[in-house]
Amino acid sequence: MIAWILAGLGAVFVGIGTLGILRFGDVYSRLQASGVSDTVGTSLIVIGLIVHGGWQRHDATLIFLLLILLLTNPIATHSIAKSAFTRGYRGEDES
Amino acid sequence: MLAIEITLLVCLLGVLWRLMRGPTPWDRILAYNSASNRIVALLALAAVIAERGALLDVAIVYVTLSFLGIVILARFMERSGAAR
Repeated sequence: MIAWILAGLGAVFVGIGTLGILRFGDVYSRLQASGVSDTVGTSLIVIGLIVHGGWQRHDATLIFLLLILLLTNPIATHSIAKSAFTRGYRGEDES
Repeated sequence: MLAIEITLLVCLLGVLWRLMRGPTPWDRILAYNSASNRIVALLALAAVIAERGALLDVAIVYVTLSFLGIVILARFMERSGAAR
């Protein structure tokens, strides 16, 4: 039950992030929407899968996957933002 | 469970639309990052539902390779490459 609540909350966060990616009008706004909500949503789904079914054999692999996600997702977002800012993109287009 | 998978698939399609029609290359890199995150979540869900632990190893390799590709593409766009 708690596993389904956590995973459903993560799916809600992922849906909000997708809405932000589709509707915002700037690269940095889209980075804000995608980076934060993707990290939280995917981590909540993986935490819900860890809680699901008690302690099993694949829980260590899921914890490792959660650590990798929490480590690499902000680094990728920062790398994209730094790349856009270094190339002189200041958010002048709309669409 | 099925509702979560359907939600993730619909979100994956929306992000792929942004990847197809991003105005700038950073939009496409960002959409690739988000799409790989959703694919990893779907792989973890499928692994736990179907009781196949090998799919979790596939998910770990997938997230590592997609992180490497995103960082390399961002560094390439920072140094050189087409602006549009």
